Amino acid sequence: MRAPSSAVVAPTCEAVLGHDLPGLDEYRRCEVVDFVCRRLSTLPVHMRWGVAVIAFVVDGWRRTTGTNRLIALSNRPLPLLGEYFRLLRSLSIAYVWETWPDTRPDGRAA
Amino acid sequence: MSTTDYRCDVLVIGSGAGGAPTAALLAEAGLDVIVAEEGPWVDQGSVVPFSLEQMDRQYRSGGVTVALGLPSVAYTEGRCAGGGTEVNSGLYRRPPQEVVERWRTNWRIDDLDPDAIDVLAREVESALSVQPLPGPAPAPSERLRLGAERLGWTHDESPRWMTYPTGDSRQGQRQSMTRTYLPRAMSAGARLMTDCRVDKLRLGADRVEGADVEFTNGRRATISCRAVIVCAGAIQTPALLQRSGIRRNIGRTLAVHPTVKLAARFTDELNVPDDVPVHQVKEFAPDLSFGGSASHPGLVALALLDQWEDFRDAVVAWREIAVYYAAITSQGRGRVMAVPGLRDPIVTYHLTRRDRALLCSGLTRLALLMLEAGATDVFPSYRGAPRVKSRRDLATIEDTFSATRASVMTVHLCSTVPMGEDSDRCGADSHGRVHGFANLYVNDASLLPDAPGVNPQGSVMAVALRNARHFLAEGWSRV
Repeated sequence: MRAPSSAVVAPTCEAVLGHDLPGLDEYRRCEVVDFVCRRLSTLPVHMRWGVAVIAFVVDGWRRTTGTNRLIALSNRPLPLLGEYFRLLRSLSIAYVWETWPDTRPDGRAA
Repeated sequence: MSTTDYRCDVLVIGSGAGGAPTAALLAEAGLDVIVAEEGPWVDQGSVVPFSLEQMDRQYRSGGVTVALGLPSVAYTEGRCAGGGTEVNSGLYRRPPQEVVERWRTNWRIDDLDPDAIDVLAREVESALSVQPLPGPAPAPSERLRLGAERLGWTHDESPRWMTYPTGDSRQGQRQSMTRTYLPRAMSAGARLMTDCRVDKLRLGADRVEGADVEFTNGRRATISCRAVIVCAGAIQTPALLQRSGIRRNIGRTLAVHPTVKLAARFTDELNVPDDVPVHQVKEFAPDLSFGGSASHPGLVALALLDQWEDFRDAVVAWREIAVYYAAITSQGRGRVMAVPGLRDPIVTYHLTRRDRALLCSGLTRLALLMLEAGATDVFPSYRGAPRVKSRRDLATIEDTFSATRASVMTVHLCSTVPMGEDSDRCGADSHGRVHGFANLYVNDASLLPDAPGVNPQGSVMAVALRNARHFLAEGWSRV
């Protein structure tokens, strides 16, 4: 079961994963996104609210401008926004190599 | 939801390095003690150390908590029976005598005798079987030692609260609170209530009457008692006091040991995922010290994340990689603020300019140490970091490092209810009694007036024993 905010978090997370780990297969990608959404739902409440607001804004940006612009945005060292993307990436990367330690650098299964 | 009432002499809130020794001493003295622990009881060995599953089950918010600031400082809190002692590396350091003396004089703490604290520390060491490894240290630890030796830097092995029944260093049994002080407390009659969060203290004019609690299953209860000792750690203790309406000098002086990290790749498979290095480099202590971190593959990947595009090819070699940290004694301070309507407190931390410079020099020196130890590639954890392959690359760290680009984190939190007789600065008196209350005490890392510059739980336990004995000798008869 995904967290309530998964509707806005999941598409961004999938886009970032698709860029960072293009070889990650769909089954694993879904599992990672589920994990990230689950973890976000256990954040301290003020962080959860902050993440929800930023996620909403970022998702709006993605819908309006597309995935390429989203990825460009994710690589800019912006306060708050940068922290949000860093959080998504940290949780994703940690989960991938914790769960499948022999994953290739592009996300492909060994 | 139904409400249940409990009664006891003393309610101890939290079962970690402060709460468990406190509960043991009080119960053994014949007091009727309830220990309220927000987290679950998790049997040792039922989760892999330093794994994501452990984060889920034994850490607050799955280990994802942060003190806001520029940069923000990620921190972790244990949330289980035994608290942080169950999940950390178990490395033990006796409270340095000069630090205790500094606390005594700077914070006007009565009866804080460095020699007496030393005696209490030995008592802790005996209770927890603190000892060095019986054999060779894990390979990542040996590399740290080797690098320091080649540079002529002071280093030593930190003992741990572990026993080694088979004599094998790799098969240690952690002597944390669930193996030591908590069983002692329960044998003496203390009642441990796990999955039990204390929402609020019930306050009278200058007394606390008890507490309102909520269990994980939604059941609510009230606990009435003659005294309350809050030992919920440096974040949750001030948050609970503030939620209950006690704010004077509470939560305003958070102190931590900020750390930055790097990953070092060697030519052989040295990674030990479920253990941590025991050696620490103290050449620049107390300002700066180096040690090793947990190096699960997921954590190795995390250490490479800040410069993922350039570093990610190394992740497949995680067996040849170990993660190390540089920790500083910070002059910055932070705040813990309970906000009405929010279940969790907001935490902030401010690094000073000197702290930022020290993090930079710490990371540079740590990279140098790794090269001396034989690392072929060093991957500092900050955005824009170079891949360090020789001494020539070290200057690039100094040129490009910025604390705001780094993954700054800490696992050592203290000083949010500093003890002492200076009521303008201190939240509690010299023995942990909250100013203005006859029967409300704090007895955990919150009391330490500043970060001790070493692993702090030895200090926390020694001070907890001191204050618990003082409570039995003088405090209990007055409540």
